[in-house]
Amino acid sequence: MISDLGNSGSMPVLEQMVRFTAQRQKLIAHNIANMDTPDFRQVDASPASFQSQLRRAVVERRSGGGWSAGSVPLPLRDTKEVRFDTHGDMTLRPGSPSGNVLYHDRNNRDLEGLMQDLAENGMAFRLATDLLQRENNLLRTAISQRV
Amino acid sequence: MFGILDISTSGMMAQRTRLTAISANIANRNSSEANGEPFRARQVFFQPGSPGAGSPEGRALGVHVASVELDQSPFNLRYDPGDPRALKSGAYQGYVQESNVNMVVEQVNMMQAARAYEANAAAAEATRSMVNQALRLLG
Repeated sequence: MISDLGNSGSMPVLEQMVRFTAQRQKLIAHNIANMDTPDFRQVDASPASFQSQLRRAVVERRSGGGWSAGSVPLPLRDTKEVRFDTHGDMTLRPGSPSGNVLYHDRNNRDLEGLMQDLAENGMAFRLATDLLQRENNLLRTAISQRV
Repeated sequence: MFGILDISTSGMMAQRTRLTAISANIANRNSSEANGEPFRARQVFFQPGSPGAGSPEGRALGVHVASVELDQSPFNLRYDPGDPRALKSGAYQGYVQESNVNMVVEQVNMMQAARAYEANAAAAEATRSMVNQALRLLG
């Protein structure tokens, strides 16, 4: 029953969003720290492909009669970049995106793109945690039987 | 979540080491080495990864200073046959060897190191606000 509470509504989607943005923050910080390292290529996990992966899982859950059958866990599949283990923990296997200018020290840094990624990742994280907090408050209200 | 601050800190420490080397180069422009040669510029080499981290994943991320090497580019020459240090023979007879520190290059490197330090500090600040936001989930 406890796991059903955690799987209800939008909570699993928000949880995966928090996990993904937290892991991606690590990659962005790694790219910024190695801005001046020769022979370094930037690494990134694409948020667009993760978004489509989440959308596919939500549609699949909805089409499987999720609402009438009680709370069904979100069916998430491994992709090339994102892997889920048995406990539901997420690990990222980032790729090296191409298309940046290669500088003379063979580093393809892109400071402006990194700053944008930093800002957008932070915003996505804050959005997901805000919504999760509201869901938690709703649960707490329901459990305390006070309206 | 907390390992991310280690990455940004390693970036800031590496850039600070680089800035120290640049300041030493500028300050020692007119010094001599222990073996009598003029001062050779010190160069700092970065590599990705943090060897001091606890987990294998932590060791793969971040940046560290792999080595500090002497710049092997040739010394600058100044024509001054009256100087006791002038070369006595060879193609550069009468020239004095001076340090191979290039002030313009060092200044540009200094600006680049300061900019990279600020970028790492911005990343650490963003991470800090994310962690604060996550802690508010509890309350």
